[in-house]
Amino acid sequence: MIGLTYSFILLPIVNSLFILLIPKRRAELFRPLTIFLSLIPLGLCLYVFLNQDLKTSFYVVDKFSWISAYGIDLIIGLSGMSFLLVTLNCLLVLLSILSLNENHSFSKGFLSSLMLLQASVNGVFLAGDLISLFIFFEALLIPMYFLMGIWGGENRRYATIKFILYTVFGSIFILAGTIYTGVLSYLSLGNFALDFDSISALSITSSQSKILFLLFTFGFLIKVPIFPLHTWLPDAHVEAPTAGSILLAGVLLKVGAYGILRVSIPFFTEGFIEYQFLIGTLSVVGIIYGAVVAIVQIDIKKLIAYSSISHMGFVMLGISAGRYLSLEGAVIQMINHGITSGALFMLVGFLYERRHTRRISDFGGLKKSMPIYAGIFLFTSFASIGLPGLNGFVGEFMILMGSFPTFNVLSSIAAFGVVLAAIYMLWAYQRMFNGELTHEDNKNVLDLNSKEIVSVAPLLLLMLFIGLYPSFIESYVVQDVSVIYESINKSLGLSK
Amino acid sequence: MSQIAEAIGFNLIVISPTVALVITVLILLFFTITVETSLTVKKWITFLGILVTIFCVFLKFGLFLQNGISSYFTQKILLDEFSLFGNVLIAMILFLNFLPIWDTSSKLNEKTSEAIILILMSASGFFLMVDAENLIMLFIGLEIGSISLYALAGLNRSDKLSNEASLKYFLLGSLASCVLIYGVALVYVSYSVMSLYDFALVVAYTGPDIVPLTTFVGVLFIFVGLLFKIAAAPFQSWAPDVYQGSPTGYVGYMASIAKVASFIVIARMCMVSIAFILEDFQTFFFVVILLSVLIGSFFASVQSDLKRLIAYSGVVQSGFILSGITSGVNGTSASMFYLFAYILQLIGVFTIFSIISGKLSSNFEMDNIKGLIKNNRFLGISFCVFMFGLAGIPLTSGFVSKFILLTNLWAYEKYFLVSILLLSTVVGFYFYLRPIWIATIEKVDEPVETLLIKKSEYMLIGSLASLTILFGLLPDTLINISRWVVQNYL
Repeated sequence: MIGLTYSFILLPIVNSLFILLIPKRRAELFRPLTIFLSLIPLGLCLYVFLNQDLKTSFYVVDKFSWISAYGIDLIIGLSGMSFLLVTLNCLLVLLSILSLNENHSFSKGFLSSLMLLQASVNGVFLAGDLISLFIFFEALLIPMYFLMGIWGGENRRYATIKFILYTVFGSIFILAGTIYTGVLSYLSLGNFALDFDSISALSITSSQSKILFLLFTFGFLIKVPIFPLHTWLPDAHVEAPTAGSILLAGVLLKVGAYGILRVSIPFFTEGFIEYQFLIGTLSVVGIIYGAVVAIVQIDIKKLIAYSSISHMGFVMLGISAGRYLSLEGAVIQMINHGITSGALFMLVGFLYERRHTRRISDFGGLKKSMPIYAGIFLFTSFASIGLPGLNGFVGEFMILMGSFPTFNVLSSIAAFGVVLAAIYMLWAYQRMFNGELTHEDNKNVLDLNSKEIVSVAPLLLLMLFIGLYPSFIESYVVQDVSVIYESINKSLGLSK
Repeated sequence: MSQIAEAIGFNLIVISPTVALVITVLILLFFTITVETSLTVKKWITFLGILVTIFCVFLKFGLFLQNGISSYFTQKILLDEFSLFGNVLIAMILFLNFLPIWDTSSKLNEKTSEAIILILMSASGFFLMVDAENLIMLFIGLEIGSISLYALAGLNRSDKLSNEASLKYFLLGSLASCVLIYGVALVYVSYSVMSLYDFALVVAYTGPDIVPLTTFVGVLFIFVGLLFKIAAAPFQSWAPDVYQGSPTGYVGYMASIAKVASFIVIARMCMVSIAFILEDFQTFFFVVILLSVLIGSFFASVQSDLKRLIAYSGVVQSGFILSGITSGVNGTSASMFYLFAYILQLIGVFTIFSIISGKLSSNFEMDNIKGLIKNNRFLGISFCVFMFGLAGIPLTSGFVSKFILLTNLWAYEKYFLVSILLLSTVVGFYFYLRPIWIATIEKVDEPVETLLIKKSEYMLIGSLASLTILFGLLPDTLINISRWVVQNYL
C-alpha cells in the first residue's frame, strides 16, 4: 500500500519525463501514449478504492526524514476526502487530455506540464504535514506558469503574472504560518515537527491560534478565491488554455478549500470561531457578487469563471458555518463544482475551437446546427444551477440547510445565489442556443464528434450519479468531516 | 630549529592552498616570460594547480582532525570550522569556474596568462582571508584578492564599459579597504589586540558594558569594509556597474569568491570576536539588511540588463544571508547553507550567460536570451532551474535555504525582519520569472539558430543544476555540514 500512495505523486512525474523523452518526429504517438499513461493513476485510484477501506479520517501512510537536524519529516497520508479529490484530479487530467485539440496534443511540453500539475495537486491532497503541503502548493505554480504562459490566450502575460503573484503573496502567509507552527512545536517538543499529529497535540493559546488561523486561511482564501481576493481568477480562467481552465476550476480552486478544511480549522479552531462570521459574510458577498457579475458577462468563458466565484462562495459558506451538515455539503460541493465547471470549460473549449470566439452575441440558434452539444450544455447548466436530481443540488442544499442555524440571515441571502445562477446560466443558454441562426458562420458548425462526446460523457454520468445517489460520496467524507466537526464542538464547549 | 618552528606554530599545511596557487602562478609566469609554450600546456598546468589546491584543502582537514581548532604562525593563521568551510567553498568556486574562466581568457590572446595569473592570485588572497586570525592578515588577504579582481574587471581593454567597471571597482574598493584598515587601527588603539580571539577575550575580561567608543567605531568600520565586498546596501552601488562591465565569463567567479570570503569572515567575527557585544550592532545590521532587501528588490524589478538584474538580486540575497549570520548560532548555520546553495546557482547562471553572450562581452540585455529554450533546450531548462532556485521555489535548494533561515529568524523572534524578507520573495518572484518568460515563453520571430555547447559545459551546467535540485529534495547532508561549521558555538 505504501508504494501505491507514493505513486499518485511519483507516477505523473515519471510520466511527464517519459513524454519528454519521446522524439519529436513520433508526434503522432504523443496523444495516445499520454492518454494511456494518465489512465494508470486512475487505474491506481480504482485499485485503492477496491482494496482499501477509504471511509476513514486522515491517517499516515509513510514518513520520510527530510531534515533530520530539525526533526522535519515529509509525510504522506490518505483519507476519504483526499481520495475523492485525488480521483477527481486524475479523472480531469485524463479527460482534458482526451478533449485536446490537434494543436496541443502534439506538444510534449504541454502534456508533460499537465502531468506535473497532476503530480503536485495530488501531492497537496496527500500531504501529511505542513511543509510538504506547502511544497506541493507552491510547486504547482511551475507547470501552471508554463501552461498559461506558453499556450494561453492573447492577454496571457498579464494573467499569468497576476495569477503567480497573487498565489505567491498568499503562500508567504502560509509559509509564515508554517514557520510559526514549527517554532511553537520546537518550544514544546524540542524539534520543528510539522506533521499533523504533533500539531494537533500542541497546546496553542487562544491568541496564537487566532494569528495562525489568519495566516493560513488568508493564503488559502486567495486560492479559493474569496470575494475581495478573487480578481486573479477571471483573468486566469479566460487566458488559460482549455485543459488549463478545466484543471484550474476543477481542482486548483479546491486546493485552497482543502487546506482550510485540513489545516486551518482542525488545528486553529479558536481562530476559526473568532473569524467564522467574517468568512461567512465574505462568502455570501462572493456568491451574490459572482452571480451578478456573471449575468452581465459578454464572454461565455468569463461567465463561467465568475460563476466559479459564486459556487466556491457556497463552499466557503458551508465551511465557515461549521455545522456538520454544512461541512459535509461543502466537501460534496467541492467535488461537484470540480465536475460541473470542468465539463463547462471543456464544452466552451469545444465551441471556441470551432468558431474562435467566445462572445455570447456571436452565437444564437446553435441548437439547430449542434443539437447534441446544446443538449449536453443544457444538462451541465442544470447541474451547475442546482436542479434537483443532479449533483449541484445536493451540495448547495446541504450547505444552505446546514448553515442556517449559524447564519440565519446570511444563508437566506445566499439562497438567492441559486436563483441568480438560474438567471445567468439559462439566459446565456437562451442567447446562445435558442432562436434563429443569425450568424452565417454558425450554420455550418459541426456537432460534437465521438471523441469529444467520450471525453465529456464521464462527467455527465457523474453529475447524474451523484445527484441520484449522493450518499455514495457522502460516505467517504463522513469521517473527515466528523473530525473537523468534533474539533469545532470541543473548542465551542471549552469557550463556554 | 624545529622547536622554534613549533613555538611559533610554523606549519606549511595550513597555508598550503595559498602556497600551491602561488607556485602554480610562478610556473605559469616562467612559461610565459622565459619559455613560450602553447596554451594547452598552460591550461593543464592551471588545472593541475587547482587540483593540487583542492588536495591541500583535504590535507587541512587532516590537520584539523589532529589538532582541532588551533592557530599558527604566532596567531596569524587560524584553523577552525569556518576556515575549512571557506576553503572548501573557495576551492569549489575555483574548480567550477575553471571552464568559463579559461574560455574567456583564451579569447584575450596575448593576455591569457595574465588573466589566469590574476585569478589564481586572487584566490590565494581569499584563502588567506578566510584563514586569517590576525586583523592585519585579514586585510592583506582581502587586498591580494581584491586588487586582482579590480584588474580582472578591466581586462577587456577595448571595451569602454569594462574600463569603467574596473575603475569604479578600484576606486570604491580601495575606499572600502581604507575604511577597513582604519577600523583595524581603531580596534588596536583601544585594546592593543589584533587577534580575533584575543579581542573576544579582552571584551570578556573588561566586561561588555565598558567597551570604549573607539572599539565600536573600529568594529563598525571593519564591517563596512566587509559589507562593501558582499554588496550589501548602502554599499552596493559598485556591484551592478562592475557586473555589467566586466567580461561575462569572469563575473561568476568575481561575484561568488568575494562574497564567500567576506561572509565567512563576518560570520566568524559575529560568532567569536564580537559575540559579547553583538547586541549593540543589531540596529546597524538591521538597517543594512532592510536597505539591502528594499533597494535590491526595487532596482532588480526595473532592470533591463540581465547582469545588472543578478547584481541587484545579489544585494537582496546578501541581505538574507546577513540576517542569519547576525542573529545567532542557528541562524549562522542556516546562512552557511544559504551561501553554499546560492553560490552554486550564481555560478550556474553566469556560466550560461557567458555561453550565450560570448565570453568577453559586457552588456547582456534581456533580449539576448530570447528563445533560449528553442536554441538549446538543455540551457533553457537549466536556466529555469537556476532562476527558480534563486527565487526560492520549492523543490530547489533556494526554497530549503530560505525556509530554514526564516524558521531560525522566527525562533529568534525577529518577526518584522521575517515579514520583510517574505515580502521580498514575492517581489523576487516577479523579477526572477521575467527572464524565464523571455527565455522560454516569448515568441521568437527570427529563425532559430542552434546554440552549440561543449561536452564539458554540458557537464558543468548539468551538475550545477542537478545539485540545485538535489539540495532541494534531500538537503539533509548539507544542513548537517552547515551545522558542523558552527558546532562549537551551539
